[in-house]
Amino acid sequence: MSGRIVTGDEITQDLTLECDVCVVGSGSGGAWTAHELVKQGKSVVMLEEGGYHTRREFDMTEPRAFQNLYQELGNRAADDLSVTILQGRSVGGGTTVNWCSTFRTPERILKIWKDRHGIDTLSTAALTPHWDAIEQRLHVAPWPQEMMNANNKVLWDGLGALGYERGLIRRNVNNCLNLGFCGLGCPVDAKQSMLVTVLPDAVEKGLTIYANTSARVLDWDGRKVTAVRAEVIDGATRKPTGVKVVVKPKVTVVSGGAINSPGLLMRSQLMSEGRVGEKTWFHPVLMMMAEFEHEVNAFQGAPQSVYSHHFIERGPGKMGYFLEVPPVQPMLASTVLTGAGAETIELMTKLKHLNVMLAIHVDGLLPDEEGATVRLRDGAHSRYSIKYAFTPAHWEAFRSSCKEMAKLQFAAGAKRVRSLHVSPVTLNSLADLDQLDDAKWEAMQVRVATAHQMGGCRMGKDASTSVVDPHLKYHSLDNLFVVDGSVLPTSLGVNPQETIFGIARWAATHIGQSV
Amino acid sequence: WGRVRRMKMYLPPPGAKPARRSVLKRGLIGGALLALGGGAFLFTRGSVEVEAPADGLQSLTPREFAIVTALSYRVIPHRDGFPSVDAVQVARGCDRILTLVDDTALTETKQLLVLLENALPNFLFGRRARTFSTMSSDDQDAVLAEWRTSRITLRRTGYTALRGLVMAAYFSSPSTWPAIGYPGPLPGIYDPNAPVWKGAGVERPIGNGTFHEPAPTADGGSR
Repeated sequence: MSGRIVTGDEITQDLTLECDVCVVGSGSGGAWTAHELVKQGKSVVMLEEGGYHTRREFDMTEPRAFQNLYQELGNRAADDLSVTILQGRSVGGGTTVNWCSTFRTPERILKIWKDRHGIDTLSTAALTPHWDAIEQRLHVAPWPQEMMNANNKVLWDGLGALGYERGLIRRNVNNCLNLGFCGLGCPVDAKQSMLVTVLPDAVEKGLTIYANTSARVLDWDGRKVTAVRAEVIDGATRKPTGVKVVVKPKVTVVSGGAINSPGLLMRSQLMSEGRVGEKTWFHPVLMMMAEFEHEVNAFQGAPQSVYSHHFIERGPGKMGYFLEVPPVQPMLASTVLTGAGAETIELMTKLKHLNVMLAIHVDGLLPDEEGATVRLRDGAHSRYSIKYAFTPAHWEAFRSSCKEMAKLQFAAGAKRVRSLHVSPVTLNSLADLDQLDDAKWEAMQVRVATAHQMGGCRMGKDASTSVVDPHLKYHSLDNLFVVDGSVLPTSLGVNPQETIFGIARWAATHIGQSV
Repeated sequence: WGRVRRMKMYLPPPGAKPARRSVLKRGLIGGALLALGGGAFLFTRGSVEVEAPADGLQSLTPREFAIVTALSYRVIPHRDGFPSVDAVQVARGCDRILTLVDDTALTETKQLLVLLENALPNFLFGRRARTFSTMSSDDQDAVLAEWRTSRITLRRTGYTALRGLVMAAYFSSPSTWPAIGYPGPLPGIYDPNAPVWKGAGVERPIGNGTFHEPAPTADGGSR
């Protein structure tokens, strides 16, 4: 029995649907959950707020991609803009636009979840069969060193010169042409995103996906969710068309990702005494930019193929971080660069020679951290109030990581290194490194970004300190599950997609049994 | 500076609850308006007049469009080899981007533009009793530098928001690519006629996403 993908323009009158399971969201969590459930023979309806955009539209230009594929056109941010939030919004969710980095959940993190949050369900042993199957389906393999682009090579060479730990990233690609536009939607379907793999596999097995359909509220009564109320969004204007979709499932799975899943729960008055939307982890990213004599062309080639976990554990009370690089395309680069307008234009003339390095900080592991708090915003449809609580440990780690990145960039031969402070610090040699100590290390004085959103519906054994139980069931309701990055009680220290894939594929077994 | 410090006292303390449910007071820019003295006192002074785009405005008023135009000239100062902001129609681009944002973000952007244009804070902070759009370029640069490096977070936030909007509108144009050496998408890759499969019993086209069981590897997996 084949399902289908229905887009908003096809939904011209109100619909009421009945099914076994309604999955809200088509990203890494929703896709794998739905896929496994249809394999079990369940009838599954998936609602996706974003549009169904395919390689027919992936023309490798930034304006089109950010409009179609990112939350708030790529402008999602903390209220004071202290953190820029890159998050996917289309069929396939974040997997349509991520940079293909694939890591299994670190053993250390699973142990912390067990020890501190009572999560005895998720272990390396429990997840390994799922990871094996996922990696086979998504063609996960290390990216060959000879295919490494010059931007990654800066990191590779710097790590080698300083004797730091380094590794090659495993990527979920098939027949990849090494183009470099993963973040704008893969134009040749080489990226094994949910959009081109698991979702169409599931549609072949009976899944029906309603794209441009935004779940607004869950109706619930006693201990049961009775309906998911959604509205159709006009793909062009991004405004509601007025057409409503009501799904009446036996079981509901919320997979909207950190930020949007808490948003749906809060709109439904499911607050868990305020814990929904709390302790949202961002893997806060600091960047350093280096100028090289040779061309780096950081806009070309597989965006991420090298990583280092050398600084992942920095001792008690300190926040760890890991190192990678991003692709550098002009529109996003121009908005991220700092300094006065003329300085930015000057830097943009050097685009071909720029390397950008990322330090991705592992938040949520230190005792005093609150992370981000997500709340509903009056009058908003797709926007939330988001506040991130930086601690002294954040600023210590940020300063330290920026100095380490500068060392790596100089070690790899950089002529000049520049911070992304409001008043940028320019280092002309390693001897200038301490100038970074004098920079302002506070919110909105230096660019901070996130591409990995986690938490907000954290799992845990204790119903008074968590939102979902160790089987991902909402504590006080019997037929509501949350399956996405929002359930992670801490951040991960690795790019999150495979963790979410694995948890979703694992959870689908017992979710199916509950129908 | 005494006056400025007193103004800062109007910033709500961290965690304070808003006195009333007003978008103006609760919103990001509401705080900025209060912090900076608020009101439209000197905003009654005129803005520069700018011709609206031939195909009209969709989200900005003519006055807001004029402010964005003035801002875009200073955020992207002319440089040889680069297309002008007029050629790229940056302010029109901002107007179009703003049709797609959440209503609350549009409202806040409009408030920010008023705040930037407002002569009162400009007067208080820099002794300039002119609206932003009617100032000299040097004075405009000085105002933007004040916003960018202000000790008040909300001013830095406002600068970042407006600067980002203008930069995105400018560098989204392929006409800027030659000046920065960006080759753009590689030719011959993108297929505007690629099939779009929607299921419903139609056979799925074979592609990179369709799955074929791989031959087993020596270690028994595909890793």
